[in-house]
Parts: sequence; structure tokens; C-alpha cells
Amino acid sequence: MPVPCRRDCGKNAVLKRPKTGDALCKECFFWAFETEIHYTITKAQLFNKGDSVAIGASGGKDSTVLAYVLKTLNKRYNYGLNLLLLSIDEGITGYRDDSLETVKQNRDDYEMPLKILSYKDLYGWTMDEIVAQIGRKNNCTFCGVFRRQALDRGAAMLDVKCIATGHNADDIAETVLMNVLRGDIARLKRCTSISTGSEGTIPRVKPLKYTYEKEIVMYAHYKKLVYFSTECVFAPNAYRGHARALLKDMEKIRPSCIMDIIYSGETMSVKEQVSLPTQRICSRCKFVSSQEVCKACVLLEGLNKGLPKLGIGKSSKAKKMLEEYNSKQINNESELEVAVKDLNNVSDVTVDKSKGLCRNKKNTNKENDVDKCNKNNCCGGTCKSNAKNVDPAVSNKKLNMLLEQYGLEEQTTVNHPNNQDKEKVNGSHTPENSDDEEPAQNGDDEDDTCSSACGRLGSLQIGF
Amino acid sequence: MICKKCASPMAVILRKKDHYCENCFILSTNHKFRACIGKNKVLSPNENVLICLSGGVGSAVLLDLVHHGISLENNKKLRIVPHFIHLFDDNVPEVSDAILKKCQKYNFDIYFVHLSDYLNNNTQLPEVNQIVALKEDDKIKFTRLLNCMPSTAANDYLLKVKRHLFIKYAKQLNCSAIFTAETTNTLAINLLCNLAIGRGSQVQNDVGFCDVRDEKVKILRPMKDISKEELDYYVKIKKLVSITRTNVKSNSLQSAISSFVSDLQQNFQSTISTVCKTADKIGDYEEDKASGKCVICKSALFTKDMKLSALEATNISKTVSLGNMNFQQDLENNSELLNILENNSNNSMFPLINKYLCYGCSRNHSEMSKPELLQIG
Ligand SMILES: [Zn+2]
Ligand SMILES: [Zn+2]
Ligand SMILES: [Zn+2]
Ligand SMILES: [Zn+2]
Ligand SMILES: [Zn+2]
Repeated sequence: MPVPCRRDCGKNAVLKRPKTGDALCKECFFWAFETEIHYTITKAQLFNKGDSVAIGASGGKDSTVLAYVLKTLNKRYNYGLNLLLLSIDEGITGYRDDSLETVKQNRDDYEMPLKILSYKDLYGWTMDEIVAQIGRKNNCTFCGVFRRQALDRGAAMLDVKCIATGHNADDIAETVLMNVLRGDIARLKRCTSISTGSEGTIPRVKPLKYTYEKEIVMYAHYKKLVYFSTECVFAPNAYRGHARALLKDMEKIRPSCIMDIIYSGETMSVKEQVSLPTQRICSRCKFVSSQEVCKACVLLEGLNKGLPKLGIGKSSKAKKMLEEYNSKQINNESELEVAVKDLNNVSDVTVDKSKGLCRNKKNTNKENDVDKCNKNNCCGGTCKSNAKNVDPAVSNKKLNMLLEQYGLEEQTTVNHPNNQDKEKVNGSHTPENSDDEEPAQNGDDEDDTCSSACGRLGSLQIGF
Repeated sequence: MICKKCASPMAVILRKKDHYCENCFILSTNHKFRACIGKNKVLSPNENVLICLSGGVGSAVLLDLVHHGISLENNKKLRIVPHFIHLFDDNVPEVSDAILKKCQKYNFDIYFVHLSDYLNNNTQLPEVNQIVALKEDDKIKFTRLLNCMPSTAANDYLLKVKRHLFIKYAKQLNCSAIFTAETTNTLAINLLCNLAIGRGSQVQNDVGFCDVRDEKVKILRPMKDISKEELDYYVKIKKLVSITRTNVKSNSLQSAISSFVSDLQQNFQSTISTVCKTADKIGDYEEDKASGKCVICKSALFTKDMKLSALEATNISKTVSLGNMNFQQDLENNSELLNILENNSNNSMFPLINKYLCYGCSRNHSEMSKPELLQIG
């Protein structure tokens, strides 16, 4: 029985909006979806006319939909924005190939300039080189820390006014829950703001802040947008895993809870007597940091001054130099050690906690028992959860489930052969990339996980 | 294994690592209870305190702790004048009987009040130790009210009903304070529930030690530092009787969160205390900035200045899903989009918000099949 579109447009509805439950036709859904984002952008004054805006592009669904919608709205409502795609390439042989291909496809489809910046461009080192230097033990620390800052560094190099990321409402609600579970009051306070960035830094904005992940997937599907989907193989830290499992359960019961949790975060205040770590700017690189010198700089210094052996002269002058060097060296090393230890602490707490609660994870795990990790990735093959292209059939199953639940159309177009070609993958649950796994804000403020490249928690993750 | 305090044989293991003998354990639980009241310095000597008993494990222990405290004759005596109340419905009549027996054992008088008394403006104290049902009329009305909400809203609403009744009878009995029996675990659940239903700004009053929303009567939670694990040992050692019944409707956010938290309890008791410590850091009650109080939960109506929040975003979702095609044309030809969207307020999800109701209560209201039963606005 055809259901008429709720907006009285005369057409039949093809879907029930996951967010509001209203039955809409395809065009009305597109319009509602886009108009909401337009409202968010204008009401929160995310951009100014003439701004250059870098879209953190990973090739995943969120950033793909973001790029498409921003392009559409920019034209429709005359934002006057200069949009460009910014992708980060960690320089792990073979790792980014597929997702960068997708981003290039976006570039062509949306006629937007694309800048791919490598770790080499940003830091002077590729992850492959870092692995060669540091060995396999701590490399995930590096890729985690570097990744957190990569978009900021990239945006600075491109001289843009702001960075737009694809964080959606589910990501933000999940982050609120996660920060409560791990007692992180500072991030709890910050994580719901739509725009972040302190004086002198490039702000990051989240135009999809109130957009449901399910609607993003459906929008991409009905618009036939091309995106790259990694199966949910990356292991979030245990707290995020728990938060995600809880949120999924709750969304089934009361879909509005995603908005309600965001509202809670937005209106919650922190007691005055609670002292929050202040965010400041790294004295070396000028990016956001919670310390005098940010972790990325500490790690870089260790890398750069690390190993060269000095010819030892016998003169007193040379001896003095050597002493100085040595003491400096010791400092660097201990600084480095402290930083690495510090980073691993987070994982220390979480290792082992993946058992029991994180139902979603368990399933993905099984798939990951087969070591998919590319020997050449940042983890040197020790990591279990390497992002990989997924069997499209598996992902289509997920989309089909979503369509079964919310689609009203008699026949969906998923299995149409042309379609399948175009949609590389349509996974519904895709914490795709740097911009996605980091619902926190700036530089230092992120999770200390290495989810982008290998999905491990530092070096201590024992496989979910 | 021996007690970590006195080297007697161990009887209790907390958090899988701390060993106590029975004696030291009971002492330490008493201490936690007293320390919680003491350090918060909210009670003056010989104050009338209304103590709310549900019949569950928490209230069995609370009753015992209070009894023990006021029976002391040294300088550690708990200097309060306790009054007891139990709110009941018709679902489980044996709970009321059990509570009555228990109170008689301790030689305490107790008042029984039916939940549907919420609809009754008359505030006459019932006779002590008498389980009298209310007018059928009110009961039917109250049941209809609860039944017209989905379970999440009903669970939430019931909490507000109980809070209202506690305060109403506290005033009747000249009590300036109320004790309720929430443990660490319950409060962790309540914190997550509060967040999940949009009550983030109300956490301090709903989850903290002290609810100060009423000017005359404070609601205190003196067992907030005691865990469920400790309660269970306490009940076992002291051979207390409790009737466990879950009064949370299933298939609700509250039931999902509470099974989530009991899963956590199995393996991560520390996460639960972390959650509670987080709760202690949330909130700063900005009473003076409030424009009024929610008629249901009595929370300050929130008027923090925000350009855009999930409230506006929710309204817009509704507006754009209902607007007709003309409306779309208007928007596309008109640069005054924001005004049009916002002035289309007959589509508002929450017609009573910030005038009569807070966000959380508005959400419940929006889900009621017969919102007129609330008789608001
Ligand atoms: Zn339509
Ligand atoms: Zn790694
Ligand atoms: Zn730096
Ligand atoms: Zn002992
Ligand atoms: Zn309210």
C-alpha cells in the first residue's frame, strides 16, 4: 500500500525518516535533509562569505555527503564559499590507495579542488619511514598523534579560513556518553560545540552535527554517491565501544535520544570549582596543545635527533659538545619516553575491557581474527584490524537492513547492477577516517588512538 | 584471607580485592553513610527528616543505618527526628505489608501514600501505619495518564511524581530534609538516563547529593557512596528482608541503561564510580538566571543563550518534514529563510517549552497520546 509523502507533494513516500518518523518521497527527503544542514550552517554562522573552507575528506560516507551537500548549498543559497577537499595520506604503502581513489572521484564528481597532503609534507616523515626508524613497538603512538594534528597542519598550509568535518549527530552523542564513562569532564564540556578552535588557530566546524548517521547513509544511497567504506574493523577504545553499543540500543527504543543527548551536552555546565586543563598553543608548531610543547613536536624531535652517531673527538671542546649533546639526548629520550608512556596509558586502561560489554565489537572481531593487516602498514603487520575494503555484499546487507526498516518503496534499487558498480560500498556503520574517529576537537584534544591506519590502541591493543 | 583492617577472618570481598571481616565491613558502611551526611553539612541537630522507603535493598539498608545511628548514645548519635513514608501502587500489595512489618520491628511509624495522590490537591496526612487506598477516581485517572506515554516517558514521569509527593508530605510533617536511598549504581544509571532524555542541565539536582529545587525541603542522598555490591553484603550479614521488584518499565531507555550499568558492574566497578565522580563535577545551579520553573519537575527553565541547540534543530526537522510545496518555493526564493523556518511555529515539537515545561518534560509531553491529561497550558 503506497503511503503518500507527508509533505503533500502528491508523490508516494519512499522512506520513513529515521530522525522524525515522517514518511517522505525521495525529493522531499533530499530537500528536508539539505535544508536542515543549511539551517544549521546559517543559524550557527559557521561560514562567512568569501571564506576558503577545507573539507576533511576521507572518502567515507560522512565526508562524501558533507562535500556533496556543501557544494549544493553553496550554489543554491549563494554562500560564496571557496570549497576544497583536503585529504591526508599517512604514507603507508598500499593503505590509502582505495580511499584516496574515492576522494579523487569526489573531486571529479563535485568539481572541487583536492589537496592530498602526506605525512612527508606535513611532518617530513612517512609512516613507513617512522616504522623503519622506531621499529614496530610504538609506531601506533606516532600515527595516532600525527593524525590528530594532520588536518590542522594541512589547513594551515592551504591557508583556509576553516575546516569542515563530517561528524554526525551519532558521533557526537556517542562522544558525550564516552566522556561520561571515562570521566573526562574537560572533553565532555567541549564535545558538543559545533565550532571549535581557540585564538590563533583554524576553527573546525561540524555542519552535520544534527544529522543522523542513518539519514546520511540513506541520502548517499538515494543520491547514488560514491564513497569508500571500511567495515567497522577499527577498534575504538573500550569506552567508545561501550558508548556506541549503548547508543545503538537506545536509538532503537527512542530515536530522539541522539538529539536529547546532544541537548544534554549543550546545556550542561561544569561546576566552577572544577579546574579544567586549559588549551593552549604549542610553542613550537603553534597548533593547539594541552602542554607547552605538543606531543607531535615531542615525537618529531625524537625522530629527528634520534640516532645519528657522532664521531667522538678528544679535544675538550668536543667533549663538552658531546656532554651537551648527550644530556640533550637524554632529555629528548626521556621526553619521548614520557610522551609514549603517557599515550599508552590510555590504552593500558582499556586493554582487556573490551570483553563483555562491547557486543558490536565481538562480531567484527571474529572477522579480524584473520590477520588482515598489511605487512607494510604502520603497525608492521602486528595489528589485527587493518582497514580494508569490504566485500560489497556484506555492506549491502547492512544497507538492505536499513532500507527494510525505513524504506517504503516496493523495490529498492540496491541490487541494481549499475548501482552496485557505482556505489563501491554502502556500509551503515562506518567510522571511516581521521575526521570520524575524532569527535573531539583539536590537535591534542583527541583520542589517543591510532584508528585511521590500523585501528589499534597504541601498541598495547590485544585485538578486540 | 584476612580482613585488611583487623586481621580477623575475611567475610567480604569488595571490588574483587578488598577483604573485610563482617564487623569492619558494617562499620565502614556506617561510616560512609555518616560521612556523606557530615561532610555536606546540610542538617542541623534534631531536624525532622522524611525517610523514603521503597521496600528494596537500598531502603532496607537505609532503614537499618538510620535506626543504628539514632540508637547510639555517644557523641556519634545521629541527631535527626525520622519520619517514614512509602509510596505504593496497586501492583504489588505485599510490598506495603512487608514494609509495615519491618518498621514495626524497629518501632517506627510509617505513612503509606498511594501514587495517585499526585492528582489530589488535598494534603491531609493519612493515619500512621494504615494502608488506605485512595478514591477510585484518582486511581483510574492516574493509570490513564501513565498509560498514554511510552515506557521511557512513563518511567521518567513517575520519578517526578514521587519527588512531588515526597516534598508535599515532607512539608506536611515539617521536615526540612528528605533521605532517599540511591546507591552509587543507581546514581550512575540516573546520570546516564538524565543525559539520554535531555536533562543534562538537571544532573546536579537529580544525581548529586542534594536536590535543592524546593526552597523549603532538600532531598538528600546519603547512600550515594555505597555501592550495590556493598548493599548486598550488608543485607546478607544483617539478615535484612527486602523485596526486590523492578518498577522500571521494560523496553525503555531506563531499562537499557540499567542493564548496561549492571553489565559494567560485573567487570568495571571502577567505571561506575568514575561516572559518579563525573556527576559531582556537573552543574552549577543558576537559579537567578532562570525565568521560571518547570511545572512537572520544578527544574529551572533553561534560557542559556545559545545560537543554536538540539532544540531548534529538532523543531526544524519537524518543520521541514511537514511543510508543503509552497513552503519550499517560498524558501528557495526568499533570503529570509531563517525567519520563515522559525516563524512556522505551529509545527513546533514542543509548544509548552520554556513557558511551562523544561526540555525533558516537553519531550515526554510530545510523546503522550493524550497530552491534555496533563492539564498544562
Ligand atoms: Zn514529497
Ligand atoms: Zn598504527
Ligand atoms: Zn607542536
Ligand atoms: Zn576486620
Ligand atoms: Zn521538567
